Amino acid sequence: MNYTRTLLSSIVKGSRSVYAGGSYSESAFATTRQPQCLPWRAGTHVSQLHASALLSASGDPIYSKYDPDVSVFHRHNLKKYPPLEPGEAPRHAFVCHEKRNIRYYPKKMQVVAKFIRGMTIDDAINQLKFCPMKGAVDVLETILEAQKMAVEEHNVEFPSNLWVSESFCLPDQVIKTMRRHSKARVGIIRHRFVHYCCTLEEGKPPKHYYHDTRPLEPHEHIQQWLKEKRERHVPLSI
Amino acid sequence: MLSSKSIQRLVTATSITRSSTKASLVIPVEQRRSVHTKDVYVKPGTAHSPTLHFKRKHWNPLYKKERGDRVVKVDLDEDPKDLNELTPQEIRMMMKVRGLHPFRPWNERPINLSCTPSIFEPYVPPEFDGKLSIVSKDGAKQKFEVMGKKGKTYLAVKKITAYDEDFDMKVFVDEAQNIYRKAHQAIADEDEELLHDLVTERAFPIVTHETKNKTIRWQFIESVEAPRAVHARASEVISKDNIFAQITVRLHTKQTLAVYDRFGRLMHGSEVIAKDVLEYVVFEKFISNTNGLWRIHDKIIPDWMPKKPASLRTVRLSLEETAKPPEDEEVQNETASAV
Repeated sequence: MNYTRTLLSSIVKGSRSVYAGGSYSESAFATTRQPQCLPWRAGTHVSQLHASALLSASGDPIYSKYDPDVSVFHRHNLKKYPPLEPGEAPRHAFVCHEKRNIRYYPKKMQVVAKFIRGMTIDDAINQLKFCPMKGAVDVLETILEAQKMAVEEHNVEFPSNLWVSESFCLPDQVIKTMRRHSKARVGIIRHRFVHYCCTLEEGKPPKHYYHDTRPLEPHEHIQQWLKEKRERHVPLSI
Repeated sequence: MLSSKSIQRLVTATSITRSSTKASLVIPVEQRRSVHTKDVYVKPGTAHSPTLHFKRKHWNPLYKKERGDRVVKVDLDEDPKDLNELTPQEIRMMMKVRGLHPFRPWNERPINLSCTPSIFEPYVPPEFDGKLSIVSKDGAKQKFEVMGKKGKTYLAVKKITAYDEDFDMKVFVDEAQNIYRKAHQAIADEDEELLHDLVTERAFPIVTHETKNKTIRWQFIESVEAPRAVHARASEVISKDNIFAQITVRLHTKQTLAVYDRFGRLMHGSEVIAKDVLEYVVFEKFISNTNGLWRIHDKIIPDWMPKKPASLRTVRLSLEETAKPPEDEEVQNETASAV
């Protein structure tokens, strides 16, 4: 997959997905979370999120020079923001980390990745320690490494004050081998590899990770009901 | 938080042996898959249970090997080793197996000596220099080193003037302060090209360490005392004609420094509060080279100088550090090193 092309296209066009192109990224990250959760994705998700003070033009990050040794996902770690003005809201630190070429099935890895989405890091670590999936080992390793990076390199004060804001996996290469059957028939075995990427953000996680499909409060229910009733159209009415 | 040992245990994937027919439900660590930690209860009826494993066996053990041979085995590089941890012989064997040629760069690059690796004979600043005022009793007693007509410093200056006729110490000292100011501004502006002209190759990585992804705002307010040259040495490196000169300049200045992290949050210092900074900066020049420039080479930080001010955030100490008895707290003076 051409990761370079998609990153550049995202900077130029301001398109939605910053990760490897194709159908996977478009559908997997169609989350419409509140802007406070993802201020650093201001350039990419503006169309989906409602405007807020955090997405001001002065607060845009500066992308560093292209370094071929740094992977596409890790380039988010090189984004630099200008110093905060006295009246500005505080900016939360975030760290992006990935583990590449894990010998595991993407479908199974997705289960683990989705599991820890929106959890605090301590919860995620505790759950992954007892998760029976094989991919949980790699996910746990990635998260611990990311936590260490956050504290050492990205000026995060408390290692427990992090939450998993993004956790997804991307399919990698597939190596096909054979399994012989009777009557000269061949069964194809697919050895699948997967990349796992996670972003840790500083602060408390939101109450509901998926904002659109959250359980509504009673007053929100009433508003919804009223809206539906007001929008009713009675055909052939006066 | 997991300890490093338990992480290692989790990370090393151990496969379940087929011959594990233990009656107990808690499987020992060696045979367990890497996911589980030491004392995890394994539910009966799961894949690790010996009873279920028995059910998965083929009824006819006669052609077990042939059945296994149906699958064409391929060596997938599932756990690639970190090349940094391998010895050169191991890397060579790995490359040979894969049919890769070794990397042999036949172009030879000349070694360019443009700076020395250290200070020749470091200047030892007098204790509590800068803390005592001249008017006080102790301050008056403090000796100032005057550049007399003899001594190594005088000889070094003589050698410098031999190569550079227009060299004047008083002019140089002001120039040195300008270089110091420009160098700090270049660090703040991330101007690496300019910085190479102001700072030697030895000092460059030290000076730019941990400045990436940070915003540095530095301001020079005034010099508290006039800059003074306190020490000079000139010496040959390798051959007799290669002479490098080093002059230590005492700079007592007022500066502000504010370091912001990647997200624009203040990490260190303040833009408003000025600090008095007393530093002994070593400037070096390759005098036998006509293109030589006076550049910052090193800084002398004596032991009696107060340590850096505490950072704005808390830092977790390791277990060894907490076991040590706490040091006596000294009253922190305004004098402190800037960066």
